[in-house]
Amino acid sequence: MKALKLSQSPDNAIGSLLKYLFEQNKISAAFVLCKNNSRDYFYGLITDKNLLEKITPTTPIMPSSAGKMLSKLTMLEPLTSPIAVVLRPCEMRAFYELIKLEQARPDNILFISFTCKGVISIKESKDGFEEKIEAYQKNPATELTLPGLRQCCQICENFVPENADIILPLIEKNDLNNTTFLIKTEKAEDFVQGFEAETVEEELNDTEISKIKEKRARKKAEVFANITPDKLGMKGLIDIFGRCLNCHACGRACPICYCNLCYFDSADSEVGPKAYEAETETKGAYRLPANTIFYHIGRMIHISLSCIGCGMCTDVCPVSIPVGTIFTRVAESAQEVFKYIPGRNIEEKIPILTFKINEFEEIGEE
Amino acid sequence: MKGKIIEIKSDLNTAIKNIIKTLVQKKLFDAVFVPVRIPSRESFAYLLIKDKEILESITPLPPTMPVQGARALKDLTRLGKLNLRILCIMRPCEIRAAVELAKLRQITLQNLTFFSFDCPGVFPTAEYIKSPEKYDQNIIEKIKAWQEDGLRPNCSICVNFSHYNTPADLHIGFYRNHLLIYPVSKNSQKILDILSYRAEDDLTEWENSINTLLKKKKENRSRKFSLLSNQTKGIENLEEFFTGCINCHNCMRVCPICYCRQCFFESPEQSHHEAEEYLARAKEKGGIRFPPERMVFHLGRMNHMALSCVGCGSCEDGCPMDVPVGQIFSFIGNEVQKMFDYLPGKNLEEPIPLLTFKEDELHEYEDTREKK
Amino acid sequence: MEQTFNPRIIGFLCNWCSYAGADLAGVSRLQMPPSIIPIRVMCSSRVDPLFILTALLRGSDAVLVAGCHPGDCHYQYGNYHTRRRIVLFNKIFETLGLETDRVRLAWVSASEGGRYRDVVTQFTEHIKEKGPNPLKKEIFL
Repeated sequence: MKALKLSQSPDNAIGSLLKYLFEQNKISAAFVLCKNNSRDYFYGLITDKNLLEKITPTTPIMPSSAGKMLSKLTMLEPLTSPIAVVLRPCEMRAFYELIKLEQARPDNILFISFTCKGVISIKESKDGFEEKIEAYQKNPATELTLPGLRQCCQICENFVPENADIILPLIEKNDLNNTTFLIKTEKAEDFVQGFEAETVEEELNDTEISKIKEKRARKKAEVFANITPDKLGMKGLIDIFGRCLNCHACGRACPICYCNLCYFDSADSEVGPKAYEAETETKGAYRLPANTIFYHIGRMIHISLSCIGCGMCTDVCPVSIPVGTIFTRVAESAQEVFKYIPGRNIEEKIPILTFKINEFEEIGEE
Repeated sequence: MKGKIIEIKSDLNTAIKNIIKTLVQKKLFDAVFVPVRIPSRESFAYLLIKDKEILESITPLPPTMPVQGARALKDLTRLGKLNLRILCIMRPCEIRAAVELAKLRQITLQNLTFFSFDCPGVFPTAEYIKSPEKYDQNIIEKIKAWQEDGLRPNCSICVNFSHYNTPADLHIGFYRNHLLIYPVSKNSQKILDILSYRAEDDLTEWENSINTLLKKKKENRSRKFSLLSNQTKGIENLEEFFTGCINCHNCMRVCPICYCRQCFFESPEQSHHEAEEYLARAKEKGGIRFPPERMVFHLGRMNHMALSCVGCGSCEDGCPMDVPVGQIFSFIGNEVQKMFDYLPGKNLEEPIPLLTFKEDELHEYEDTREKK
Repeated sequence: MEQTFNPRIIGFLCNWCSYAGADLAGVSRLQMPPSIIPIRVMCSSRVDPLFILTALLRGSDAVLVAGCHPGDCHYQYGNYHTRRRIVLFNKIFETLGLETDRVRLAWVSASEGGRYRDVVTQFTEHIKEKGPNPLKKEIFL
């Protein structure tokens, strides 16, 4: 496919492209990861091209899921003028799931994404972030034991942004001086028309990608070997989630959990003194805050089919429960049943919102 | 007789446990609300306990406070009282928060009896989880020597760590290797009478030790507050202060006072805007951050709850980014509470200043021209 | 005397088929164990998986969801949705190593009083063999 080559670092190349798009009035805004100071990273909706110096789209950090943020932006009405969005593959998949859930609209968005090496967990960014970034950039993507790398990223096999309009192959190359934009769609071609860069023919490096995939799959098998059904059970779940504070931070950070008032925060979930008395009587004691495991299994029921395995939940957990790892495990097996991959195709319905007449016919009969 | 004294033979937790067990055996209480170590051992959860066997496993004085007790108690009694006489073993700040919540009608205080104790402070939960054994050892030494390093920042500047200003029924004090049970409320005398420990009139030793510590903490506090007042002056300093905040709102979620099911800052009115509006806002400044309104959230939350802030520091404990949010809330809380001469949780009868008014007050904040 | 274990099973019965089927079983005086605590729902698809989860975590021994046979749903497609939900629910429970056979989906039409009896008898027997729900006594849920 057509590709544009620039002898600039990825961040600068994206900056130049966005600047060009601004100058040509092809976009009215850019939505991209920005940096205020060494600790302050956030997604910015930028309309002034002079602020592009603050962008840092490939810094390995995800302060919040861009998918969720874009849903905030486009929930009530679609965008009427085009904007360019730079985001990671999982964030893009999250955005697609939110579109299916009618929480976002894809109109007038130019998606720029890149093959993703993963991000450093936000808790790990608190100290020594610069050194961690350095180690991250120096090492090839097949190296999974980078300091601070999210566990969900280490086991993620969907690091190629299939649906993006423009893809930057970053992971296979690890080249900080040259950047290639793969122009994947016609829409993207219209946008980059006239942008000064060397035009070449280039494809994603499939051998390199499958090598990384294989490596991560092995890591995943290793991680999942510790969360098998026989190791879990209610006892295992209590060991993992026992220290849960019931703060629901995981749900709030989750790009898929979109409800304004979560069921588990609502009045419906509260049962009242009579029930508390009864449970204290039968069990001998009653844990407070109550319903922590209930919350987690309940959330699994609600979102596991759409879980894109980004690991935001683990990142924000104040007591460091590996929420994301368990959710990814459950999500994988649930998605497997319906042969569904979240965020792959915008037309595909979320399995729980549809059905087939002739399926699971053995269930309910005998 | 002022109080009763027990010599601590084994450890502190067992000593307190024995008192609780006695009270339950004498049928003064049907259930006990107290922290218990979770099965995986690295943290604690509050349990409402009826079973005597489970009562054996309690840790009335855990070295950390993962969940603010008032928040747990709110979950239990928000919809009404339980028909159980419950003994609650809580820290002074938890009891004060519970009383604030009762004023906000989120906790039913009927049938609850509060036991507080001289709180040595707690270790940050995230740190404790990493190496519980280290801190379990530490807490005993901490109590003996009253050291303050490594504690939650809010605990080292807390001046209401003892029976002062806390409407508990009974208070447990520690000094040397003694445990003192001290009646605070009027009706706690009969509980005290039932306990057959040695009565003691002369409490000067305990009072002196508390006062020495109080003095030290007061100094700490004023030093910290003057530092904070410089750090947080003006919007630029504030921005700097909240650097790193990712707008997860977790501080609000773990806050005992923030009780709304749906926080205003997460409500549709506040968080759903049309794309055009966001773009227009971005155009004014050249760009806006997402999630938007980080400062609106923190300053807004301050407006909502600073008057009731008990300064427990749970918010800072729950922050994944270690933003010193507990310190600024404690500082601002202190400032605004001073204005109304109000101490949250001190007295159930005293209304929260914003829920009441006096006709003749605060004239200095009115338009000065009219005064002339 | 040793107490025999009588399971308590929450039964979500669809108004149009299974509830009528259960009613028919009763009117026909068919003998079956009194283990079901029936909750009438307008359609089996009204059963939020969280209902089932709540019942199990709060200590009911099992949950029966009964609805019209596929193709017979009063609302046309409700029970197909139910089927998917139960499949998802079971899969999640299976992955987490929790007991999946305490939840059962059964199709019982309004005329199948006999089938309702069979389902209830068999399910009750099964749960009796398994014993009470261990989560009933679990404090740290």
